[in-house]
Amino acid sequence: MGKVFQTVVLFAAALAGAAPAWAAEPPVNGASAAGRIFAAAPARLLQIRTLVIGAGRETSTGSGFLVGADGLAITNYHVVSQAALEPKTYRLEYTGADDSRGDIRLLAVDLPNDLAVVRLDKRDAPFFAFDQAAMQRGLPKGERLYSMGNPLDLGFTIVEGTYNGLVERSYNERIHFTGALNPGMSGGPAVTADGQVVGVNVAKRSGGELISFLVPARFAAALLQRVQGGASEPQEFRAEIGRQLNAWQADLYRAIGDTGFRPAAFGPYRAPEATAPWFTCRAQTNAGVMPKPRASVDSMSCRSDTGVFVANDLNTGVIQLSHSYVRTVDLNQFQFATFLSQQSQPRLIGGGAYRKWYTPQRCHDDFVATSTVPDRPPLRVAWCAQAYREFDGLYDVAVIAVTEDRGSEALVSRLSMQAVRYADAMALGKRFLEAVQWTK
Amino acid sequence: MDQVIWVEVLSRHRDVAARFRVAGPQALIGRGYDNDVIVDDPYVAERHVRVFRDDNGHLVAEDAGSRNGMFLDRDKTRHARIVIDGERPIRIGHTYLRIRETSHAVAGERTGRQDMRAVPLVLVAVLVVALVATEVLWTWINETGEQRASHYLQPLLGLGLLIGGWVAVWALLSRVFSGRARFEHNLLIALAGYLVFRLYSEFAHFTAFAFAWRTLVTYDYVAMWCVLAAICFFHLREVGPSRLKLKGAVVAALLAAAIAVHTLKQSETFHDLGQQNMSRRLMPPAFRLVPVRDAGDFFADIEQLKLRLDRDRIDAQNGSDGR
Repeated sequence: MGKVFQTVVLFAAALAGAAPAWAAEPPVNGASAAGRIFAAAPARLLQIRTLVIGAGRETSTGSGFLVGADGLAITNYHVVSQAALEPKTYRLEYTGADDSRGDIRLLAVDLPNDLAVVRLDKRDAPFFAFDQAAMQRGLPKGERLYSMGNPLDLGFTIVEGTYNGLVERSYNERIHFTGALNPGMSGGPAVTADGQVVGVNVAKRSGGELISFLVPARFAAALLQRVQGGASEPQEFRAEIGRQLNAWQADLYRAIGDTGFRPAAFGPYRAPEATAPWFTCRAQTNAGVMPKPRASVDSMSCRSDTGVFVANDLNTGVIQLSHSYVRTVDLNQFQFATFLSQQSQPRLIGGGAYRKWYTPQRCHDDFVATSTVPDRPPLRVAWCAQAYREFDGLYDVAVIAVTEDRGSEALVSRLSMQAVRYADAMALGKRFLEAVQWTK
Repeated sequence: MDQVIWVEVLSRHRDVAARFRVAGPQALIGRGYDNDVIVDDPYVAERHVRVFRDDNGHLVAEDAGSRNGMFLDRDKTRHARIVIDGERPIRIGHTYLRIRETSHAVAGERTGRQDMRAVPLVLVAVLVVALVATEVLWTWINETGEQRASHYLQPLLGLGLLIGGWVAVWALLSRVFSGRARFEHNLLIALAGYLVFRLYSEFAHFTAFAFAWRTLVTYDYVAMWCVLAAICFFHLREVGPSRLKLKGAVVAALLAAAIAVHTLKQSETFHDLGQQNMSRRLMPPAFRLVPVRDAGDFFADIEQLKLRLDRDRIDAQNGSDGR
């Protein structure tokens, strides 16, 4: 174990340009679990590179691992996304930890789980097996895991860490792995001490220490089964990605529909708050601001952990909602209205560059009464939306509502939905607006 | 019959530069010193024109054998003889001459300017007060942070300098072309124009909120250009009241061009940035003048918006296919 730990440290030292002990260290010989695992890995551990066809060099690298004698391998979707979306510009190659090289063909992708299955021109090589126990029951927290990959294109490494269950606030199932994952290790396997795959390296949280995420092995096994079961290879991955995004969003909005909103009080108003566990909500106030604000703003905002990687320049799928209870301190009605205007400008929060991914924004606004029941304040609602150029039937939508009942206080509510189907956006938007009420 | 002929040498702008009273049956005009009217123009002959009365008593100008000839006003046809009407000048070399009889009728006496002056000055004062009041009110309504005197004074100073500079330029033009600066008239025009645009803009925002009707806000740039064009036209009228139709046509053509270019620019910006001018100004709830819409109707509109987005998408795809 000490040795593995040293490996990480030495790796860092090598990066810094000073590696005093590495050459002097005796070769790994099976004295530790990590050593045994890594010694067995070379023939089945891969680096996967995306090359610009016109330039002949790689533009990004990731990792992957063989899972079948027929040359099938698993990696992350985000490792191969460029080749999937722009097959005329990019192609894929692998380098094995045993220095074998060759071309790769992309067979299938799983966008929400960030997985891809590729085929290598490499037959009868040893391969990794999935850990059946982990797939069925999960592991106990604290179980030791070993993650492998090729960080920053510096050479293959093995990293030791611990299994910490599933991430609680993630909509897409992710294993919380406490260990150092680095760019380039994406798509590499994380295995138990006996070398069985538990998850696939996918991401880490910047701003934390050693907080890394794995895609549970069962999703990789399911995708692999689909390929082996003879699922036809998509003609055009772009359309397939659009389909998967669409289907995944449909599930997501069904899930929100099921969990629904719960009312939260904001001054005299009630407004909907997300109940699903994969929303993170935070409160904010301008009470402590100097110079003393002339209107108080107490707000709450929720953000869903439902982001999905589509391309290097497009992350989408997030739902955000917020409410700000605004009350005048010494602004008159006109000034207060100006203040509210600043708080309620309609804006869409896109997940990528406009020219590449979206159509222009269109907005519509009006005074709206959500019900004839007199417990609902009249609202001024602005609805802004843009369509995705590439993906049929998906839109980014923002709804902004301001209560129009009093001149000295108001509730500003926002709901922002990315890559949503229009009917889902309308249904959720309607529920959202209906849930803005007075407290009696 | 009177034997006096008046010969006037005109400037390029047709002001009288020199006036000669010639007593006798004829007037000799040329560069030489044996003429009644001496014209210091190198393109004029020593003896260029002889003016005399014909049998009917009309004044006639006759080319006295010059090389460059004699013309009527800006015409290009050379004349050997011209019967004088007292209005259209004749041209010799680069010089315009107007020849008149003593019996030439002149326009009636104009009322003294002292009385006229009082009205614009009062109007100017009223407009200045209205403008300052509008600006201060506007700043006050938009002041949601700390109150600062400079927030009020700075825009007023800027606006004052802008209008002052603008009016000064037009006054200078008036002075150059018509001899009188007419500062107060030009000031009146600029103030009224600015105030009209300001009121329009406020009204547009009011309708955008009160009626949930954004058309006036969307096209406020059209209003801005129209007001600017009107201001320019009235300034031009002050500069010189002649050829108003031509001036009006030029201003209208420039206006049309400005609106077209602005519209083009706006549509290109929309496609480049993907955002309309979406700034929305809220007003106190009491200003709402339309009934609140039923959610069902509102969402029917929202449904319509989807068709628009889908059309945009098809356009975008066709655009990229064409590339």
